[in-house]
Amino acid sequence: MKQVFLLPAVILLITLVIFPLLWSLGISFTDIQRGGAIREGGGFLGFGFDLTLRNYARLLIDERFHIAARNTLFFVLLGVSIQYVVGLALALVLDQPFRGRNLARVVFLLPMMTTPVAVGYLGRMFFDPSRSPIAHLLRTVPGWFGADPIFVPWLTNPAYARWTIVLIESWQWTPFMTLLLLAGLQAIPRELYEAARVDGATALQIFRSIVFPLLLPISVTAILIRSLEIFKIIDIITVSTGGGPGSATESLTMYVFRTALTFGNYGYAAAIAFVLLALVVVFTTGFLGLARLITPRMS
Amino acid sequence: MRRDARWRTILTYAFVLFWAFIVLFPFYWLITTSFKQPLAVNRGPLYIPFVDFQPTTDHWNYLFTNQRSVVLRHFVNSLIAASGSTALAVVIGSMAGYGLSRFKYRWRATGWDNDGIAFWIISNRFLPPAVFVVPFLILYSTVGMIDKHLGLIILYTLFNVPFAVWIMRDFFNGLPIDLEESARVDGANRIQTFVRIVLPLSTPGIVAVAIFSFIFSWNEFLYALMLTNYDAITLPVLIAGQNTNRGVEWWFISALTLVAVIPVVLIGLFLERFITSGLMAGAVKG
Repeated sequence: MKQVFLLPAVILLITLVIFPLLWSLGISFTDIQRGGAIREGGGFLGFGFDLTLRNYARLLIDERFHIAARNTLFFVLLGVSIQYVVGLALALVLDQPFRGRNLARVVFLLPMMTTPVAVGYLGRMFFDPSRSPIAHLLRTVPGWFGADPIFVPWLTNPAYARWTIVLIESWQWTPFMTLLLLAGLQAIPRELYEAARVDGATALQIFRSIVFPLLLPISVTAILIRSLEIFKIIDIITVSTGGGPGSATESLTMYVFRTALTFGNYGYAAAIAFVLLALVVVFTTGFLGLARLITPRMS
Repeated sequence: MRRDARWRTILTYAFVLFWAFIVLFPFYWLITTSFKQPLAVNRGPLYIPFVDFQPTTDHWNYLFTNQRSVVLRHFVNSLIAASGSTALAVVIGSMAGYGLSRFKYRWRATGWDNDGIAFWIISNRFLPPAVFVVPFLILYSTVGMIDKHLGLIILYTLFNVPFAVWIMRDFFNGLPIDLEESARVDGANRIQTFVRIVLPLSTPGIVAVAIFSFIFSWNEFLYALMLTNYDAITLPVLIAGQNTNRGVEWWFISALTLVAVIPVVLIGLFLERFITSGLMAGAVKG
C-alpha cells in the first residue's frame, strides 16, 4: 500500500533518468551519427554498434573541447564568487530593519524570475559597444576628467566576453544567494548580537566570529546549488555572444548541443556530456569534502 | 551613538536604492526600447520618453496584428508545456513527498532508507541536462515525439519532480498527524485520507511547487531548442531565433521579450512569499 505513493516518482526517474544515463554512456563508446541509429539494421536505438574509444581519445586533442571546459570552469568559479560576495552583502543589508524592506526583497528577486534567454538579450543590449547606456557612460564620463573615452569590446573580444557573460549571469542569480543567506541570517538568535555588543565587540568582530561561522552551512548549500546550475549554462551565452567570437565563449553544454544537433555526431556529444558529468561529480565531492573540513559540525 | 545609527540608515538606503536601480533599470530599458522608433534606438542610448525620443506603439501593433498568430501560437505552446508538467509534478511530487514523510521505506536493491531515497531523488535535479541530449534525441525521433507538446512535458516533469518531492516532503513533515489518524479511526484508508484530509491542507506547499515548476518550464531553453522545430516551439526559443534573424531590430525583440517575461515577473511580484518559503524548504532544511 505505502509503495503506491512513491512508485510514480521512482518509476519516472528510473525509466527516464537511470536508463537514458546508462544508454548514453553506451552511446559515448560508439560512433553513431545522426540517422545512423535508424538506418542501419542492427543499430536500433543505438544498440548493436561496435564499441570504440575513439570519442574519448579525440577529447584529448580537441582544442574546442578544452576551451569549452576551461570556459565552463571559469564561469562556475568566477560566477559563484561574485554572486556569493554580492549576495552576502545584499543579505546583510536586507537583514537590517528599514522602511520598505519587504518591497525591496520582492524587487531584488525579480531577475531570478526572468527568462534566461531574455536576460541574455538584455545583456546584449547593455553591452553593445555604441548604443547602450554603459557604452554611453564610458564614452562621456572620462571626458569630464579630461581623459579619453573608454571603449570596451564587451562581447566581441573573448577575454572580455567571458567576464561579461559572468556579469550577466550574476545579475540574474545573485538574488538566489541573497535569499538563502538572508534566511540564514534571520535564523541567528538576536540575543547573540546583543550579548556580543554588551561585551564591546565591533560590528566587524561580530560578523567574523558570530555571523559568518553560523552562516557557513547555508553558504555551503547555496554555493553548491549555484555551482551545479552554472555548470549547465547555455541560454545566456547563446543569446549574448552565440558562443563566439568563433567558439571562444562556448560552454560544455553548448558544445554538446552543437555536436549533437549541428554536426549530428551523437557518439562524440555523449562523450563530452559524460566528461561534464564527471567534472560535476568531482567538483561536488571536492567541494563537500572541503566544506566538511571547514565546518566540522556538518554531517 | 545616535549619529552612528543615522549613518547606518543612510548607508542602508543608499545601498538598497543602488541595487534597486541595477535590478530595475534593465526592465525600464526593455520597456522603453519596445516603444522606440528604430532611429531612436540606433542613434545611441536615449533615455526618457517624450523628452529624448517620441515613443511609438508601432512595434506592439505589429506584434499584435501582423505577428499575432505567431506570438499567440508560441505563447500557447509555452503555456501548454509549462502547465502540463506543473500539473504532473504537483501530483507525482506530493504523492512521493507524502510517502516519504509518513511511511518507512527500505529499498532493498540499494539499501536506502527514506533519507537515502529522498537524497537520490533530489540529486536528479542537479544532473547536467547535456547528458540527456543524445539519448532523448534518439529516443524521441525514434518514437515520433519530436516537436510534440507531450515530449517537452515529460522532460520538464523529470526535472520538476525532484524539487517537488523535496518541498512537499518538508511541508508534510510540518503538518500535524492527528487529523489523519482520526480520519483513519473513522474508517478511511490511506489514499482517502491523503486526498480528502491532507491535500486540502497543503495548499501553500502545492502553490510553491506549482510556481517553481511553472517558472522552470516556462523559462527552459535547451530541451525546447533541441526537441521542437515548428509546432511546439516555445517563447524562449522564438526569442533566441529572432535574436539571430533580426539581430538589429531591438525594438521588436524587446516587445517580444516582454511578452515572455511579464507572466513570470507577475508571478514573482505577487507570489513572492511562496517562492521564498519553497526555497527555504528546499535548501535550508535540506
